[in-house]
Amino acid sequence: MAEAVTKKAPSNKATVTLTIDGRSVTVDKGTTVLEAARSLGIHVPTFCWHPKLKSVGSCRMCYVEIEKMPKLQVSCATEAMDGMVVATDSDLVKQGRRAVIEFILMNHPLDCPTCDQGGECQLQDLTFAHAIDDSRFAFQKERFVEDGSVSTFDDVQIGPEIMLNRNRCIQCYKCVRANKEAFGEFDLGAFERGNITEINAAPGRQVDNPFSGNLAEICPVGALTGMDWRYKIRVWLTKTVSSICPFTASGVNTLMYMDETKNRIYRTTSRRNDEIDDGWLSNVSRYAYQVVHADDRLLTPFIRRDGKQVEATWDEALDLIAKRLSDIQDQKGCVCIGGLVSPRLDNATLYGFNKLMRHVIGTNNVDYRTEYRMLPQTPEDHYQAACSQPIRISDVDDSDVIVVFGSDMLKEHPNLYLRIRKAFNFGAARIFILNPYSTKASDVAELEMVYHAGMDEVALGAVCLTAVEKGIVSSDETDRLREAIAFDSASAAALACGLEPDHLELMARAMAEARKVTFLAGEIISRSREREPIAAAICNLNRLFSINTKGQFGILPGHSNSRGAHHLGLAPDPPASIKAKLRSLWGQYPDTETNTTDSMMVQMRKEEIDGLIIMGANPVMLYPDRAFARESLEKLDFLVVSDLFETETTELADVVLPLSSWAEYTGDYVNLEGRVQTASKAIHPIGDSRPGYAIVEAIADRLENTLYTAEDYRRDEIDTMLEVDTACPVPNLYVPSKGGQDEDDAEYPIALMIGDDPHHRGHYTEKSASLTSHVGEAYLELSPDLAAGHEIKEGDSVRIESPVGKVVLPARISEHIRNDIVFVPRNFPSAPVTSLLMRKRRIDRVRISKVVR
Amino acid sequence: MLAEESIALIKEKAAKYPERKSAILPALTVAYRQVGHLNDELYSEISEIIRVPAVEIAEAATFYTMFPKHPVGKYLIQVCHNISCALLGADSLIGYLEEKLEIKKGETTSDNLFTLVTVECLGSCCTAPMMQINQDYYENLTRERVDEILEELRTRA
Amino acid sequence: MNVVLRAIGNVFWSMPKGLAVTFKHLFKKPVTLDYPHQKKPMSPRYRGLHYLERYDDGSERCVCCGLCAAACPADCIYMEPEENEKGERRARIYEINMLRCIFCGYCEEACPEEAIFLGREYEFSDYDRDSFIYTKVQMLVTSPRKDNPFKWIIRKVRRVYGVPEPSL
Repeated sequence: MAEAVTKKAPSNKATVTLTIDGRSVTVDKGTTVLEAARSLGIHVPTFCWHPKLKSVGSCRMCYVEIEKMPKLQVSCATEAMDGMVVATDSDLVKQGRRAVIEFILMNHPLDCPTCDQGGECQLQDLTFAHAIDDSRFAFQKERFVEDGSVSTFDDVQIGPEIMLNRNRCIQCYKCVRANKEAFGEFDLGAFERGNITEINAAPGRQVDNPFSGNLAEICPVGALTGMDWRYKIRVWLTKTVSSICPFTASGVNTLMYMDETKNRIYRTTSRRNDEIDDGWLSNVSRYAYQVVHADDRLLTPFIRRDGKQVEATWDEALDLIAKRLSDIQDQKGCVCIGGLVSPRLDNATLYGFNKLMRHVIGTNNVDYRTEYRMLPQTPEDHYQAACSQPIRISDVDDSDVIVVFGSDMLKEHPNLYLRIRKAFNFGAARIFILNPYSTKASDVAELEMVYHAGMDEVALGAVCLTAVEKGIVSSDETDRLREAIAFDSASAAALACGLEPDHLELMARAMAEARKVTFLAGEIISRSREREPIAAAICNLNRLFSINTKGQFGILPGHSNSRGAHHLGLAPDPPASIKAKLRSLWGQYPDTETNTTDSMMVQMRKEEIDGLIIMGANPVMLYPDRAFARESLEKLDFLVVSDLFETETTELADVVLPLSSWAEYTGDYVNLEGRVQTASKAIHPIGDSRPGYAIVEAIADRLENTLYTAEDYRRDEIDTMLEVDTACPVPNLYVPSKGGQDEDDAEYPIALMIGDDPHHRGHYTEKSASLTSHVGEAYLELSPDLAAGHEIKEGDSVRIESPVGKVVLPARISEHIRNDIVFVPRNFPSAPVTSLLMRKRRIDRVRISKVVR
Repeated sequence: MLAEESIALIKEKAAKYPERKSAILPALTVAYRQVGHLNDELYSEISEIIRVPAVEIAEAATFYTMFPKHPVGKYLIQVCHNISCALLGADSLIGYLEEKLEIKKGETTSDNLFTLVTVECLGSCCTAPMMQINQDYYENLTRERVDEILEELRTRA
Repeated sequence: MNVVLRAIGNVFWSMPKGLAVTFKHLFKKPVTLDYPHQKKPMSPRYRGLHYLERYDDGSERCVCCGLCAAACPADCIYMEPEENEKGERRARIYEINMLRCIFCGYCEEACPEEAIFLGREYEFSDYDRDSFIYTKVQMLVTSPRKDNPFKWIIRKVRRVYGVPEPSL
């Protein structure tokens, strides 16, 4: 087991010194003997111990002999004491462990040949290690044969991706404990007792939580195995490649199991990194590899000929792109070409794309934020400041107070969600959640405050005003603050956003008294049209409570390389430091007009932009105004789209280029902390697809302007760019934070929230069979009262109408949502939910009605 | 399934505990006294009352063999089959009861009078073999004594 | 002198002695066979062409565990598992490249299911290399073989070590 506990840095805590196998070690008080031994690199075998869970000592495998103690002790549950003399390898210990294995094997079937865990089974390894070939338990083994067994092997499928074999279970309870302690899910339990203890799904439920894949991974035997790995390949025939998840902004570390001869990835497991993921993967990260092997990957370039897209060679496609782009450049000028790129692509692609657009073509029409309402043309200084604040994921662990604002953590940052749970379960964190709708993290929250949709900045303003009025914090600029918030009193602000004054006071007091505060804002803020005033409100809050001096705050980026895109200058108008660096690298920097996604679309409609290159992004599906995006792209003379799949956007393209996925080339990604991580190449590109950086470099070559003179220049230039300090200063004054509001429309009373399903992220994951087996179609989440008002029952078809469109979706009734809000996931192309949205609105409002057949 | 007074009783008992989980066993006892056995439906009802996930209630309920999970006959015969009783012939006693009542372990007689189950040690080893019928202990059992007991219960019923 | 006499004696004595052996064999049964019209029965422990055994109820014994392939020093076994209609693990593809195979018999020793055996068949020459890749269908016996010499050896070993018989 590669779970060696890293030697802890000496802290100011009390320490104890003990001797293990003749070696002396000093550890913090409270450390277990097992952890102390592992810090020395001594391997103590375990089944039930997990570094991120509380010890239970149920397997007894970690026996050690401690002097002056009459019996063997389980090291995972024995606290290290001063002067202890521990032997981990004495004859008595070996004898004890042998007996434990013999006991465990009492009821464990010897069906290793048919067991998927064979080859990576801890029980197998330890049985061999202890040379056990005989058993004194000559009687019949306990066998679970009940209805629900799908085979003569007594396998029971307890979830979309989890197969259970209760016979093989050794009752280490790791799965149940992880499910409860780490994930806060209650769909798996340990029932009965003694000989017939069984792990099973909770009565009437399926194990389908967004972290369920971890259960199969941490099972030390073959009791819980993953369906995606079931009877596919033996583990010793695969090679592992270290990678990262391209769907989460935290960039969780993964290990891909692949077979070279077949050029295929078979599964993903975690590669524990305590700084980022603690070894837990969300199902999105775990099953995303199936996207790579989806049947409908684009395999060759396509060129539109006579209105139809036909297969073409790379040479034809690249020649056409070069010819048409230079035509547009010659006839109308380089400002008539634009580029949109997905922030999920790696650094080399993003930087190459930037250089292609800005240096080779010479336009400032570049953007990577194709999913946000990009309306405001004013500079977004406060938003940039809040986005570029230093954040450390591991600092969440020991924060006293964690505030989550405008973010559905489970859906946006599953690993941060687990961190917050950890801080609650293992630390002493008080958690406050401020959201326009209730989220899954509410069960660990001391207080969940749900404000009226579109009142984000008012809610924060109310917190600030309460703190000032109640004298919780002293500020000599109270008037300025009031002016900035544009409310006279806390009660008025609280009333406007629908929050309880008592709650506000509790939160303000907690934040003021805390030693270390973590304040995290998320996608609900970034997606809002008014993100600049909201960011100003966050800055005001930060100034009032001095969060950045005693903790961290910031708006979390949404994608795996959003931070990288920002660093590499993919924003239409990047910070001055980036511009200066780019100018010094390239010798020039275009001084043309800068255009965001939205203003580019406006120009396309005016036919001021004629050529567009899109890489990896799908604005037609994800831009918050589908009709607008589609019509804009249709107006283009020439559209190049590079993507993994045929999408709504590639349908409109004149040239479609097949893009390689993250697993097919080595690429670097910058996670939300600013940490640069590498996803190594696992397999060769599928079909004729090419990595993004190769595509942009090929286009540049055809435009007779080579991007890099030597191979290593690419890396050098990117490294130079990543060194640039892009942190924008937080304003040291209270800044105005009044956001605009929409006009009320009585016809459309319900606010519509669009986001990701917990099992999906963005627009690729619906290609993963395992993820669609959890959630395969879009739904409308609404409150029981709202459903009752419209006579809607679970699963009924509901028509959702906005002024611009309508969609019919099945209803899903949820206790967590308020009566004036509905939620729809945006991940499914079959349900074009963005067609309900209008780009100029702050909050989209809809009305719903039951479809009567 | 729970009656109003049972719900009130569970709430009253739950209020005594600082940890919500601690109320699981008292709540299960109340439910068992009212219904006579426990099932998934009761777990979710209790879960809503004391606000503990249903799976934790199910785990606790299935751990304790004292709570029957299926409807049982008027007399629940619980035969100890642990070491002392086993040494003194619990297995043959169970076989005899199965033969006599014409049911298997875990089943109920057709007249809904007797349910036969085996349980772990009931703490009466010095009088092994023994069994518990509803709340009463019957000790130092022999086949004749079992015959007597069953006859007595039949006449009483 | 003696040497000369012994040499003469050898000539006149040894030649008829040698010829006597020759003539004796003229009337003996020949040790060679008129192959391919006649075939010699192989030793029970001869290691020839592999076959895959079945259970008495006709189901395949092989569960595609991969241990034979792992044990194979020539790396000539390739397999892919699948789930059959009963949810059991079975081989979807099971191939042995007989050109690579060195007939060491490690596969049958490794097999935990008593599924693969090396038979006594040795005539499987062919004209192209492709036909030496034997598939599962080619190797799978139609009914359990009664003359399986290894079965009783394995059983005997099992009895010595006190391992119970595998049940169906």
